[in-house]
Amino acid sequence: MTLLWENIRLALFSLKANKMRALLTMLGIIIGIGSVIAIMTVGDSLTGTLTNTMAGLGANNITVYLNMTDENSDNGSIVKDSDFITKDMLVDLSETFDDKITAISLEQQIGSGKAVDGNLNASISISGTSLGYFLLNDTKLLDGRFFSTHETETGSKVCLVSDKLVENMFESDNSKAIGSTISCEVNGKNIDFTVIGVYEYTNSFSSFGITAGKNVRTSVYVPLRCATSLTHSDTFTQFGVMTVSGINPDDFVKEIKSFFSSKYYLKNNRVYIDAYSMASIVESMSDMMNKLTLGISVIAGIALLVGGIGVMNIMLVSITERTREIGTRKALGAPNSSIRVQFIVESIVICVIGGIIGIILGCLLGIFAANLLDCPASPSVRGIILSITFSMAIGIFFGYYPANKAAKMDPIEALRYE
Amino acid sequence: MEAKERKPIITLRDIRKNFFIGTPNELHVLKGINLDVYEGEFVAIVGQSGSGKSTLMNIIGALDRPTSGEYTLDGVDVISAKDSELSGIRNQKIGFVFQTYNLISKTNAIRNVEMPMLYGGVPRKARAERAEELLTLVGMEERMKHLPEELSGGQKQRVAIARAMANDPAIILADEPTGALDSATGRLVMDIFHKLHKEQGKTIVLITHSPELAEETERMITLKDGEIISERKGASS
Repeated sequence: MTLLWENIRLALFSLKANKMRALLTMLGIIIGIGSVIAIMTVGDSLTGTLTNTMAGLGANNITVYLNMTDENSDNGSIVKDSDFITKDMLVDLSETFDDKITAISLEQQIGSGKAVDGNLNASISISGTSLGYFLLNDTKLLDGRFFSTHETETGSKVCLVSDKLVENMFESDNSKAIGSTISCEVNGKNIDFTVIGVYEYTNSFSSFGITAGKNVRTSVYVPLRCATSLTHSDTFTQFGVMTVSGINPDDFVKEIKSFFSSKYYLKNNRVYIDAYSMASIVESMSDMMNKLTLGISVIAGIALLVGGIGVMNIMLVSITERTREIGTRKALGAPNSSIRVQFIVESIVICVIGGIIGIILGCLLGIFAANLLDCPASPSVRGIILSITFSMAIGIFFGYYPANKAAKMDPIEALRYE
Repeated sequence: MEAKERKPIITLRDIRKNFFIGTPNELHVLKGINLDVYEGEFVAIVGQSGSGKSTLMNIIGALDRPTSGEYTLDGVDVISAKDSELSGIRNQKIGFVFQTYNLISKTNAIRNVEMPMLYGGVPRKARAERAEELLTLVGMEERMKHLPEELSGGQKQRVAIARAMANDPAIILADEPTGALDSATGRLVMDIFHKLHKEQGKTIVLITHSPELAEETERMITLKDGEIISERKGASS
């Protein structure tokens, strides 16, 4: 134990004596460990944020959409009007799976443009939505109300706007916004809508990773019927299903697909109904993240290998320089094993110090990168423990050969070395 | 010899050492050395370079093995000892003093003196106490925390002598200890050896090429071409 401590002390002294050399030697280890830690920090924070976002969107949500069959996409024939999903189908679906469906979310895009009120304007996109849409997307109402049953049924010209729009056009005053009429310029037409509610804008999944600017395009939601009358279309290419909690979303995805294919699309060779659950998206996202981490780890592994060879090289130099010291120690009665331990410890100390510097730099880099991506980041404890262990292992592995060489030196030759 | 009452510390019997320098040639460096060194003796081994005295020193110091012969050091059969046991013998039985001091750089005087005790497994506190005591003995009590590079040649050699004494070895083996020092400093170092010999009763083997230094010792053994050519009592005692 005393000997071990003595060895660590000696190793630190010898590093202090050759600071520049030690730093250059450690560089490979620093880069290797640093990049592993950085990518792990970013990866953990991305996965965490993704999972949270997805959980916010609801892992129980299922997206159902119209997909072209392979033959159809090959020969390029056009999807017919009769192929689209109709309201009747949806009614049938919700009646059939009454015990499994909480809500159905429908959205119909009207278009994008500008909302104008006097000199002030804001970028918008307008879409008609069913009430289920807000439920599925977990829309948070800041002020006002959602559409009433009457408004939903008649398709009144009322709308929900984002707090960003209120910030741009109503000096962030929600009460000023509610009840006022905004003129929306969409596809060359001007339509007036009365604001009935303000929802909280969230950095949605599609704009993930891009920091929201001041004049970000936000959605204006109007009743679905209002949209269908404006677009003269009453069919859909996709919709969302919010399931009752507790059911297996993947199983239900299969049931929905077979419901449509057996009942409505049996003889249709152009299109079919496909569906996926949010849970499966989360899964494939984290799967992708893991693959990315693995890829970077391989590169970092190469850096560590090169770093380890550098350590071995410098240890060989150090041993040659200290040949007389080794000879003296042997003459004083040091057994071969303690000479070996002395130099392995020195090699471990180099690697661990390099590892610690790498961890610090990696954490800083990772947190910085995660902040750029707008995700909260915390250093990966698992990564830190792994890195320390790994640097020690490199120290032992690449220090063993030089240390063994030192241990096996002939004391007479070593003492005579000039 | 005359010291019949005294216990032999070093017993060398027909020690031969050959070096192979290519198949047809075999170099006979030591040609059958017989030597007894008794407890408390101060012996000088002198000889020209090439006389085989360095090889003999390496064998006495358990750093090298003879090609043939018998060697007993303080009751231990060195010839039959395993390599791993030789380091223990060096640690416990022999105190080396080198011409070039060979202090460990970046390590202060007290830690240098502690080093043989570290390998001998002496507890920390006992180590420090013993090292302080020894440095005081050689007159280095003022410079215990100094690094070797901050010490003069004579001071370094005094630290080295203190280190050689650390585990209270059976013999002190000094190889040209004054070789790198001026005559005044060399005198000082020699005085320390005499002091250790007289006051502590240490057995000292001094290897030197200088007949003047050898004259000071009790016994002078002259080596030439791998053989002891003369053995006589020196001026002292």
